[in-house]
Amino acid sequence: MESIVLTINGKKISCQEGTSVFEAAAKNGIHIPSLCYHPDLKPYGACRLCLVEDEKTGRLFASCVTPAARDMVIQTDTPRVLDHRRNIIRLMMAEHPESCIVCNKGNRCQLRRIAADLGVGENDLYPMPNYRSFEQLNPFIVRDLSKCILCGKCIRADHELVCTGAIDYNLRGFRSRPATAHETPLEHSNCTFCGTCVSICPTGALSPKNAWYAGTPERQASSICGFCGIGCALDIGISGNKIVEINPADLEETVNRATLCVRGHFAHDFLNSPDRLTAPMVKSTGENEEPAFNEASWDEAVEHVISRLSDIKRTYGPQSIAFIGSTKCSIEENYLFQKIGRAIFQSENIINMASQNSGAQLMALDQKTGGSCRVNRLSDLEKAPAIVVLGPDPDHAAPVLGYHIKRAAKKGATLIVIDPLPNDLSLFAGQWIRPELSKNPNFSLTSLINGIAAELVARNGHATEFIENHTLDGNAYTEGLNAQDPEAIAGLAAVTREDLKTAASLLEGKKTAFVVGHTAGQSISEAGFNALFNLSLLTGSQGGKGTGIYLMTEAGNGMGAFDMGVSPDRLPGRHAISDESGRIPLEKAWKTKISPDPGLSMLRLIEAAENGTLKAVYIMGENPLRKLPQPRRVKNALKKLDFMVVQDILCNQTVKLADVILPGAAFTEKAGAFTNMEGRIQNFAPIVSPPGQALPDWEILALLASKMGYPEKYTTIEQVKQEIRRLVPMHADLGSHRQGWLKNNGLESGFRFNFSPVDIPGPEPAPPDPNFPYTGIIRGLRYHLGCGTRTSRSERIQSFQLRGQIEISPEDSQRLDLSEADRLRLTSPFGQIERGFRINTDMTVGQIFIPLAYNQNDAMNLVDLCESPTSGAPGWMVCRVKIEKNETSGEMP
Amino acid sequence: MEPKAIDWDQLHVIIDKHRYQKWGLIPLLQEVQEVFGYIPPASIEPIARAMKMFPTCIQGVITFYAGFSLKPKGRYVIRVCRGTACHVKGGRSILRMMKKELELEEGETSPDYQFTLETVACLGACFLAPTMMVNKNYYGKLTPPKVISILNQYRKPKPTESSSPAKEADDGR
Repeated sequence: MESIVLTINGKKISCQEGTSVFEAAAKNGIHIPSLCYHPDLKPYGACRLCLVEDEKTGRLFASCVTPAARDMVIQTDTPRVLDHRRNIIRLMMAEHPESCIVCNKGNRCQLRRIAADLGVGENDLYPMPNYRSFEQLNPFIVRDLSKCILCGKCIRADHELVCTGAIDYNLRGFRSRPATAHETPLEHSNCTFCGTCVSICPTGALSPKNAWYAGTPERQASSICGFCGIGCALDIGISGNKIVEINPADLEETVNRATLCVRGHFAHDFLNSPDRLTAPMVKSTGENEEPAFNEASWDEAVEHVISRLSDIKRTYGPQSIAFIGSTKCSIEENYLFQKIGRAIFQSENIINMASQNSGAQLMALDQKTGGSCRVNRLSDLEKAPAIVVLGPDPDHAAPVLGYHIKRAAKKGATLIVIDPLPNDLSLFAGQWIRPELSKNPNFSLTSLINGIAAELVARNGHATEFIENHTLDGNAYTEGLNAQDPEAIAGLAAVTREDLKTAASLLEGKKTAFVVGHTAGQSISEAGFNALFNLSLLTGSQGGKGTGIYLMTEAGNGMGAFDMGVSPDRLPGRHAISDESGRIPLEKAWKTKISPDPGLSMLRLIEAAENGTLKAVYIMGENPLRKLPQPRRVKNALKKLDFMVVQDILCNQTVKLADVILPGAAFTEKAGAFTNMEGRIQNFAPIVSPPGQALPDWEILALLASKMGYPEKYTTIEQVKQEIRRLVPMHADLGSHRQGWLKNNGLESGFRFNFSPVDIPGPEPAPPDPNFPYTGIIRGLRYHLGCGTRTSRSERIQSFQLRGQIEISPEDSQRLDLSEADRLRLTSPFGQIERGFRINTDMTVGQIFIPLAYNQNDAMNLVDLCESPTSGAPGWMVCRVKIEKNETSGEMP
Repeated sequence: MEPKAIDWDQLHVIIDKHRYQKWGLIPLLQEVQEVFGYIPPASIEPIARAMKMFPTCIQGVITFYAGFSLKPKGRYVIRVCRGTACHVKGGRSILRMMKKELELEEGETSPDYQFTLETVACLGACFLAPTMMVNKNYYGKLTPPKVISILNQYRKPKPTESSSPAKEADDGR
């Protein structure tokens, strides 16, 4: 690309060919006003405010859509230009309602800003406001299109960044307005309420609905979203000590750029929930009276915890205590937490609720790639030639990841979606493989992946050169694939052979990105993951930029919690606990012995509580009662414990069982860092103070450690960071700067990837139980994250009136003779729930969709509490159910 | 009275004809408009799916062009010219009279779907001012009696002369 020299306002400027005059000026500190320009959107030239004058020709043109040319001589604010700009603003103001004093946009209105800069006040034009219907029935977005200036930013953000297509211009001329399909209100359109349009709107036409605050927040600060594993950068508006508004942060190189999702944008009002814990509480142990919680001072509460835990350790041994860490707490807190567990209490039972599924995948990937693929940037994903999506719908589970995939597909990447349920990405997909789980109860995802691989080899579409130069055992693997019976494989994959062939033809010769997720603890099995890794080698995708395997993590710091060793079999830095090379340096640093045996898995933990070998649990920021399958069993197990400490921010079901409650702080109230699914370490700082006496979680842990007489004192978060940097080389980038990256291991020259042997699932003769004829697929919707402990406390999400209806095909609805108001009782071999329903024409017969996180997440009653997924298990949470109409009860209270 | 039900098979034939054509959307919509007399709103989604576009974009195109309509139009679409030359020659009075005769406002369609009254900026036949069009036929140098006689040509036979309401519905468009 050539460099061009031009003159702007008498200043010689050089820029790259293809840069617009506007951008060339902006890069050199020359400000040109504009209402429709946004760096992430294609230039559009709608507002005409960026008019500049070409000195040579005297021509006026919109600088945002004019490419800079050699030897241009541009003036940006001659009297003539200013006069034109003023007139444009005057015309806009004449059409704009004079409601600035009550406008939500307040002082951040760009129209008002530019009018002020140009000295346009009273404009002497006949006011002609174009009144439109005011829309605010949904709890998220207020639309007052009379304030719309037709800059098209909302529409372009929707089409170019979010790729949902909820709105577009309707009509033309004066009547033109952004509109939904059939001009329905937003809540009846396909709008996902990501709020990207709200943040990008320069005027008050789109504003967030907020019942407790209007106008400009007192101050703003940036932070990192605490919901899913994407880690979006937020710009948080604060008033007093309350968070009143959230927007995407306007910073360099954020993962989300100008976008957010409905959770990030609107669900953070849970931070102001009345359910927040504000003081340490100790359960009274009085005789013959109802147990009650009494407020205690921090010293009393922590000392109580220490004395009880020490007693239990002395009486029953260290393995009678378990520590459940949190994927919502920071890297530093998780580090301290497992250190307290391992070094002070000598317990092996350190776990986080995601360690068994996403953690296992993470480890497998790390091992297979020699630690060279810890960083997978989502910005690179947009450059991948082909993408295969597997597991939950990213558009719901991690919406910003969904946006990246859709953008890639729009740019021409081949997209294959493997999903039994209707998927928001399927509109963009070259192929949507929908296994019909109802037809084959022995469905095997491993077979599906192996089937695609076999067809790829059959048509000679695999990356032979890559396999020869960078892998071992390539031949054994392809032979293994060829040994399979293609029809049987397609049968096990519950698809047709044609599906597999099409997929292979689409992937032929393309380096591919595989995006893998998991739902509510259900992830792709080890065999499935091996098959997927094999396929990634077969397509030559490993080691490339933007290709290979992208693992979704469910919660904000899922990766960080795992990397800090909050896992029964891993130490900080992803070292296997049995591996001396990782253990000994830590033993030295911590001046203690670490047991080389792995601790209990989640299931074994519950079993140990049931049979009485586990006596105490310390839970930090987790709600197992809502998250795990079979909540009643989990509750009974936890009730048997002698002692339970829960450190959390919200009063949830688990908190109510605790003996001591320690109120922690949310991410906006403390300092720390999260690692997102890309391997990006992002720091955040406190921007408001915790409610009441609540303390940042790391301070609570530091208090506990110091009261235990532990020599190391942690008085600042920086001390913890330093210790992590020293002991975990992978996290050398964890510092005080805004973001860093995990360190990849450099590969030795001559490193070769290994193919795993082809795993052919044996014929499992488990005929479907005729009593449970339907296949229920459980997963989350975009309005809730995971089990919904936090999102269900968001006032706005609550008032959106989603009732978690199951979705069912029209044929099944007819067969069951359902009418609209019916409530359905779903029974699986493990439990029963009651839900309303909705007919979805995109559902396949025999399959139903059960949304997670509603009614205290009762869907978890339908599945069994079991070990990590077995061979052949899909990345979807599946249960066999029976559906009956519930004639007795009416609407649930 | 309801407009005629949409013939979905016919719609899909039209969609299939244009779906792989380059810049096929406008010709597709034109054909739908031509065949159905309007673009049924319910056809937006199938068209969007076939063209791999967002439904809102299809709707944006439809509402942008005056030639497309999302509402069923009458059997005869009357376009009265409101251009300068016609205005000077009394086009406004012609429109006023038309409104009174048809009992319709601009843009409205009669309940029996016989007439739709529209105005246009110029029909390009200023030498015939004041002018109007009925479907594809031009009428120029209009006078009140001439307008009445033209309208009578297109009016339905009086209900007394028609045989049954069912037949009338058949003639609907």
